[in-house]
Formats: sequence, C-alpha cells, structure tokens
Amino acid sequence: MQEILVVDNLTKTFKLSRKQQHIEKTDKPLKVAVDKLSFTAYKGEIFGLLGPNGAGKTTTLRMLATLIKPDSGNATVSGKNIVTEDGEVRKKIGFLTSELKLEDFFTPNYIYDFFSDLYGVDPAIRDARKKELFEKFGIDKFAEVKIANLSTGMKQKISLVISIVHDPELLIFDEPTNGLDVLTAKVVTDFLQELRNQGKTIILSTHIFSLVEKLCDRVGIIIDGRLVALDTLKNLTVEKNIEQVFFDLYASVMGEYRV
Amino acid sequence: MKSLLTIVKKEFKRFFTDKRMLITIFLPGILIYVIYSLMGGIVGNMTETNKDYKPTAYVINMPDSLSSVMEEAFSLQTDNISEEDAKQLITDSKLDIYIVFPKDFTTSLGSTPTPDVKMYYNSASTNSFTAYNLAMAFLNRINTSAFTINNALEKFDLAKSSDVSSQILSIMVPTLMFALLASACMSVAPESIAGEKERGTMATMLITPVKRSEIALGKIISLSCFALLSGISSFLGIIFALPNLMQGMISVDTAIMYNVGDYFLILAIVISVVLALISAFSVISALAKSVKESAAFISPLMIVVILLGMGTMLLGSTPAVGYYLIPLLGSGLAMASIMSFSSSLLGIWLSIISNLVIAAGFVVLLTFMFKSERIMFKK
Repeated sequence: MQEILVVDNLTKTFKLSRKQQHIEKTDKPLKVAVDKLSFTAYKGEIFGLLGPNGAGKTTTLRMLATLIKPDSGNATVSGKNIVTEDGEVRKKIGFLTSELKLEDFFTPNYIYDFFSDLYGVDPAIRDARKKELFEKFGIDKFAEVKIANLSTGMKQKISLVISIVHDPELLIFDEPTNGLDVLTAKVVTDFLQELRNQGKTIILSTHIFSLVEKLCDRVGIIIDGRLVALDTLKNLTVEKNIEQVFFDLYASVMGEYRV
Repeated sequence: MKSLLTIVKKEFKRFFTDKRMLITIFLPGILIYVIYSLMGGIVGNMTETNKDYKPTAYVINMPDSLSSVMEEAFSLQTDNISEEDAKQLITDSKLDIYIVFPKDFTTSLGSTPTPDVKMYYNSASTNSFTAYNLAMAFLNRINTSAFTINNALEKFDLAKSSDVSSQILSIMVPTLMFALLASACMSVAPESIAGEKERGTMATMLITPVKRSEIALGKIISLSCFALLSGISSFLGIIFALPNLMQGMISVDTAIMYNVGDYFLILAIVISVVLALISAFSVISALAKSVKESAAFISPLMIVVILLGMGTMLLGSTPAVGYYLIPLLGSGLAMASIMSFSSSLLGIWLSIISNLVIAAGFVVLLTFMFKSERIMFKK
C-alpha cells in the first residue's frame, strides 16, 4: 500500500490565558492540544479521526493543512514535509472545514474560477471540472447567485467543491456533514466514497459514529490530544460497535465520563 | 506572478462592483470642490476689489506721451519718495505700483542699450496686481520691441513669500488632502484585510499554494489603486476648485500658473502617500481581529496623519531638507512648496522616496504577518 500521509509524533501546545486557565480549571499555563500523534494514511482509503470536541482533531488537521506549525514532530504528504515544504504540500491537499469561509459577495461561478486560478489549474480543465462538479452538486442552477443569498447546505456544497478545484490527492475533511440535512449529507457521503474509489486518500475528522461506520476503512481515536486506538474499522469492531469501543476507551483513559 | 494578478483582479471585482464602495471614490473629490469653492467665495467676498477704486501709482520720469492716460487711470503720488520707501509701501499694500522709466525714455526708444522700464508691484494684493496689469496694457501700446520691462535682475514682485494665498493653500491642501486620502484608505483596508480575517475567507486563501508575499502585494496594489482613484478624485476637486478658491486673492492668471509639471509632481506625491498609507493601514488591519477593531486601531493613526499634514504650516516656507524625509510630513512640505511656487525638487523626490521605502517595509512586514499563525489564527 502506498503511503500518502505519514504523521510522526506531531505535537502542538497552546498558551492558556488566565481566563482560559480558570475555565479549564487548571493552573498550568500551557495546554497540550496534540500529544505525539503518529499515524499513516494510505492511497485510496478513508481514514477516520474520531474524537470528542476539544480532543485535538481540528488542531491536527490545521497542522496537516500547513495553517499552523507543529511544536515538534512532523508529517509528510506524498513525501513533502508540512513544515519545510508547505507550499508543495498545499498543492497536494484539499481542506474542508467550517473555519474556511467563502466571500459571500461573489457568485459560486466566480469564486470557483478564482480559487482554480490560485491553484494554477489550466482554464480548459478548470471549466470542464467546474461543469462536472456544479452539475453533480446541483450548484449549476445557482452559479450566478451571490453566495450570501444561498442556503447553508448549498454553501457547504460549494465549499466542498472549492476544496477540490485542483483535484488533490489528499483530502482533509473536518466534520463535512455538520449542519446539513439528511439529503445533502447523503450527497456528501456518497461523494466521499466516490473519491475513495478514484484512489484519493481522505482524512475524515468527525464525532459522528454512524459516519465512521459507514465510510471509514481505518480509524484513529483521539482523546485528550493522544491517539488511543488505531486500527481498521473491521478489527476495532469485532466484539462491539464503534460507539461502545469509543466509550470504553474514553472511560479507561479519562477515568470517568466527563462532560 | 499569475496568482498576484488573480488576487488583484478579485479585489477589483470586490470593490468596483460594490456601489457603496464606489461612493468613497468620488465623494471626496466632489466634497473638496464644494468646500474649496465655498471657502474661496467667502474669502473672495471679503477682499473683492471696489470697481471705483483708482490704484495708486508713483512714477519716476513719466514720459509726456503717457502722462494723460496714466493720470486718468491712476491716482498718481506727487510727493518725492525714496526708492526704498516706495518699495516698502508696495509690500505693505499702501502703494499699488511704483514705475521707474529711464531718463529721456521717449528719445532713447530703440537705441542701445535698450531702455528698461521697472515696475514694482505686489502680487498678493489684488489692487496692486490690477494696477500692474493696467500699466502693462498701457506700455504695450507703445512700440514694445524698442524697450524692455523688468529686464533687470532684481525682484519686482514685492509680495512676501510667507504671506498671501500660497500660504493658505500650502496649509489647506496637504491637510485636507491627507485627511481625505486617509479616509479613503480607511474605507478599504480594514474591510479587505481584517474583514477577510474576521469572516474566515483569508484562511481559505492561505490554504492555497499562493505565496504569502503575493497575497500581501496583491492586496496592497489593488487597495492602493482604489484609494488612489479616490485621491485623484480629490486632486481633480482641488484643481477645479482652485480658481474659485483664489478669487479675489490673486488673479486667475496666477491660479493657473501651476503648470503641467507641477500637477505631475503633486500626483506623484499623492501616489506615494497612498501607498504608504495603505500599507500602514493594512498592517494594522492584519493585527486586528475584526473590522471594528481595525477601525479602532487606525483612528489614532488618522490623527497622526492629519497632524503631519498640518505640520507643514509650523515649519514655515523653507524647512531643512531633512524634514522632507519624514513620511507624510515631507509630502505635505513638498506639496506646499509646489503650491507656493518655491518647489525644491530634491525635497519632493526625497519625500516620495521616503514614502515608497515605508510602503515597501510594510509590504514585507505584512508578508511575515500572513505567515504568522499567532496573528492570522488567534481568536
């Protein structure tokens, strides 16, 4: 199996303000958000990062997407280093997260061309790809409507399309179905499977168990910044379902269920 | 480079298709025109020449051929006054014109050396300037190739360089211009930088392989073009308002004495000021978390900008060359020097260069800021 993403001891620490220390009920000025995380994702698989809110999933994805730098450890995307070759890495990845927004002053048509041009996609390929993707997601009917005037689901579909304008080999999706109705969510999950079938590698971060069971080939469970389990979905769920696996792990790591 | 163009094009589309934004371009120019014209009108009313006024003249060696017309047009001084006193009276606007004909003017016409008539006047005084034009008209009726007027190497316009309209202009123009340029910059920089950061659209751009320096430069170039258009609009407002502003203070002839070169220099200064302001405002906007915070951060700087514009009047008409190196203040001085006809080319270029150096420095800084996760992603 071809290694696409290799994560090696990735660590990220944040400084806590006094206020944050109070909220977190700690007197330590530093919080380790991601603690020596290591895993590998292979070509043509959907790798699920499962974890509760605040476990460090988003921080990990942001590091992989080169938006922030790790304190220590490293990761490579098709052999390119996320710290020293960040420009090259950005060409190879597509990142979808609710944090990345599109300027709603523009139309989907314009914003697609804008990002496609920033990625240096040839105009002929750009137009063909746009037509295909817009039709698949039903964006074509709204291509000339300002994004501000579109529904949440449509905005999410446009964000998804924008994240793959350059046909990247590694796709990083952070909670891609959040806030979507069941119909739109299905369009998105079907598309993820289609991408896998095309040989793309997908990192799917989520806290939705059903999504993991439906889509993921392998799963890494993150709790409190650490990877506490890493295996194929099949192996993890031999005795119990993923939900039960997760809660048992959580109890053994944290000692108790904490809300 | 291609990405840079893509970013510039996007920013242009963002601003030039937004009607609210377009208002910021043209409003300042119209405002300047209206304000300057009104100011000129008010000052003009106060200093308007009385049509029945007969200018006073002191003439030495009056040729007989001219004495009748001169007596009719001027109220001629008959007391003997020394040359020094006469000049002083002109400077003080107590005498309008002092004319010295050579002895035997009529008979020496056309002989060598060519006789020269000296006319001393004060361009800052409307009455004196009218008198000068009137006397000029009379003299032109004589065979003008046979003699010269004010051909000697001495000062005939006795207006003090520190007084008059040029002083008012040199104070008003930089201050008002800076305020308008700064407000034009303020209307776009926070929106384009802090706004994109606040709305999360900047991160979407940072995830692409485009170099941070290209994003920084693309932003600053496009924002500068926008602010510059606003600046040009202000600038046109000034040009069109000048004759109105000057009315009654100096003649319209003098108002349009600024030549194409002067206007070009003013434009060059304006461009450099815009680049410096936009890049400074962009850096401040990048520090802010929201458009609102950005506007709050920029406000104190706006005051500094306006104070620097006003600094022009505190430094007088001939400041040391070093002052031109201070960004904005130097531009104010340079602009004032052009408007008061005492332009120092060295000073003008120094001021332009200092602005450009500042702008380049801020572009580099902005690039680093775009790379900083603490600045770009800290909530």
